[in-house]
Amino acid sequence: MILALEVRAAGPLGSTIQVDYRVFPDLAMMDGNWAALFAASDGKVYAGLAYHGGDGHLVYYDSKTDSMHDVGNLTALCGESLLRRGPQSKIHAKFGEGKDGRIYFGTHAGNWWDYARLGTKEGYPGAHWMAYDPKSSRVEDFGLACPNEGVNTGAYDPAWNRIYGLTHPRGHFVYFDVAKRVAVDKGRINNFESICRTLGIDKAGNVFGSFGMGQIFKYDPRTDQITELPLRLPIRPKGISIGRDYDKSETAWRVVVWDDETQKFYGVEESATTLFSFDPGGIPNGEVRRLGQLCVPGFEERRDVPYATLSLTLGNDRKLYYAAAGREFDYSGSAEPATSHLMSYDLKTGKIEDHGEMLLPDGRRVLGTNAATTRSDGTIYFVGAIEVRPIAGKPVEAAGRIGNVHYRLALIIFRPGA
Amino acid sequence: MSVQRTWLSIVAVIAFVPFAWAQRDTSYDFSVVSQVRIDLRDLGYPPIDLIPSDESEIRALAVAPDGRVYGATSGGRSHLFLLDPRHGYIQPLGTLADAKVVHHSLVVSKSGEVYIGTALAVDNNAQGYEQYAGGHLLKYNPGEGSALNGIRIDKPCPVVDLGIPSKGQAIYALTIDRSRDVIYGLTYPDGEFFSYQIQSGAMKVHGRVATKIMPGEKFENEKAIGRALAVDQEGNVFTSGEGGRFYRFNVKTQQLERLEIEVPAVPGREVYNRVDAWTTDGEGNLHGGTSDGYLFRLNPAKLAVVNLGKPISQYRIRGLVLAHNGKLYGIGGDGDEMARLFSYDPASGSYELLGMIDVNRRPYYSWHGYVFDAMEVGLDGTVYMGQAERKSKLYLYYPQ
Repeated sequence: MILALEVRAAGPLGSTIQVDYRVFPDLAMMDGNWAALFAASDGKVYAGLAYHGGDGHLVYYDSKTDSMHDVGNLTALCGESLLRRGPQSKIHAKFGEGKDGRIYFGTHAGNWWDYARLGTKEGYPGAHWMAYDPKSSRVEDFGLACPNEGVNTGAYDPAWNRIYGLTHPRGHFVYFDVAKRVAVDKGRINNFESICRTLGIDKAGNVFGSFGMGQIFKYDPRTDQITELPLRLPIRPKGISIGRDYDKSETAWRVVVWDDETQKFYGVEESATTLFSFDPGGIPNGEVRRLGQLCVPGFEERRDVPYATLSLTLGNDRKLYYAAAGREFDYSGSAEPATSHLMSYDLKTGKIEDHGEMLLPDGRRVLGTNAATTRSDGTIYFVGAIEVRPIAGKPVEAAGRIGNVHYRLALIIFRPGA
Repeated sequence: MSVQRTWLSIVAVIAFVPFAWAQRDTSYDFSVVSQVRIDLRDLGYPPIDLIPSDESEIRALAVAPDGRVYGATSGGRSHLFLLDPRHGYIQPLGTLADAKVVHHSLVVSKSGEVYIGTALAVDNNAQGYEQYAGGHLLKYNPGEGSALNGIRIDKPCPVVDLGIPSKGQAIYALTIDRSRDVIYGLTYPDGEFFSYQIQSGAMKVHGRVATKIMPGEKFENEKAIGRALAVDQEGNVFTSGEGGRFYRFNVKTQQLERLEIEVPAVPGREVYNRVDAWTTDGEGNLHGGTSDGYLFRLNPAKLAVVNLGKPISQYRIRGLVLAHNGKLYGIGGDGDEMARLFSYDPASGSYELLGMIDVNRRPYYSWHGYVFDAMEVGLDGTVYMGQAERKSKLYLYYPQ
């Protein structure tokens, strides 16, 4: 038996934290959300809601009016409703806000049918690059990003006015230059099961992602070249992954956020929810440092530490907020329900804090999340699955079940210091 | 909203917990290809001594008489590499000067010298060819190279430049008649057929297999040039050309001939159809795969073609070999599709569809190939498959 010691601030056993929430009206069937959550400068919070086997939706929450709005059905917005092919079921990547105020993103497929339909006439036609203009309430479709593939991972850079993406399943690095109206495919980066789920963009416009066995690549828009950096993420050695889905590689970073103040990325890798910093300006090719673990306390060295979520964001209080899964979480693909914990890491002190189980005001549980963002006023938002308790005599408004518990998607709201 | 009190603690955690639960059972680890029959090799010694991403598309493979397997890559630069079956790993042999693409243009002579045909780009509507000087025929002598130089990533491969077969033209395909010491080739974008006499060094263009652009949209600018060449037992050379016809270089008359026989195609699509890959059997027949995805057998003496059907629903048969078990193995699928492996048993006339080309060695490595453009069979029966993507591997398949 090996004992490891780590200083942490943890809530007492059974501690909880109350969070607010808003559901997505008339969209109870939406069954997942990954990465697609963004608090824009005007106070609107955008989310991409996934619907496997059907049409995903772009929605936004107007924090000023406390109202939720459905921008529309993604397949219809792409002009593909009559195709009767694989639908545009998701926005599966981060949004970004342009200098023109538009919200940029790429679309994604829902089902892959063991890749049997890849490139076939009934298969998914491919992701579209798009922009939503809040002034006109219109979506512009820039066209196909990558034939037959989805934008699995993405980021928008307002400085270069480009939407970047990694495709699924082939793992290509692609981008759309909005000003030039040019779509570019730079080719393959990785294998399908280990495509990193967040692209990080530094102040200079360099784009970073992870690949291979915890390595990091860099795309420089000045040279239009991809280089592979001699850096390694603090991933846990393979062989400890029993309990993990087979297509979750445990070799990539799940999520990174950029901090303008320190000029570093902070991220969580997927094998053991290890928090790290990545200084792209470090000598000579950047520097990666392990900062701790953001999993629920007690899971640190366990074989069944839940797969890291995408729910990491930097708060205005200089704390990183992370919603940790209580057990392996993938919406209806989860075996059993467990309650998410809100974790934080204080960039000023290095202290990790477990704020406890995330509960709604009525006591229902947050069963898992996979996206986070911070509004300019410091409010933290997540999108995830909340518990639905059936009411006798009424139809259950839910997307599905996690174990025996009904769930639906909701925008989860946490106000630090409130 | 309230945050309950927190407390500082020292958490002692246990490194091993003797229980764990699988979220999904092993059926979720989906794999079509039997994972004990397929493997892959990185192109070098990772992570540093590796042919870089963007320079690793394998579009040419060749097996030497001594069993060594050579490959050439395409991308930002072309590299030559070697796999010696005794070692099993890949040794990068260096970059090929001025080459970005080596497309189906790698042959080994009976003395073991390696010949390489270089290109700027292929199947790209001839973009960039206005200023192109021409692809070179290069010779690599393994006696002078591999043993002395070790792994070479950023160093040039020591080759002899034998010249440009045709000014402004890239080399699109090569084949060799080892018994007569003659190399034959096709050029891109104009489909010129040339020969190179190894002993004398004489190089000659004999004609063209295509002169007109295929019917198509305004942005299309391709001629119907066969993507591979084959030599029959008499020394005649076969390929395809304009109108979906077979072309033959008659070794006796030294003439390039447009034959009356057609490459099997979907009726009406003959003009787009061409031979993507060839192999030979022990009975003097040539077998080929077409861009429409058909497998055929050509009796070169009788000029009789048998359409053996279409093994997969996709376009293109981009690799074809005769394995030691008597079956033909092929890879089909175009660039935006998923490559699939199949076999054809000439004895029974039956196909076996082997599925996608995916190696799953989790937790050590796993890699799914989508585009393949080269295939060879080693002296020991191993089938080698060259992946042709930005980040590529050499796949090994072990037929039963």
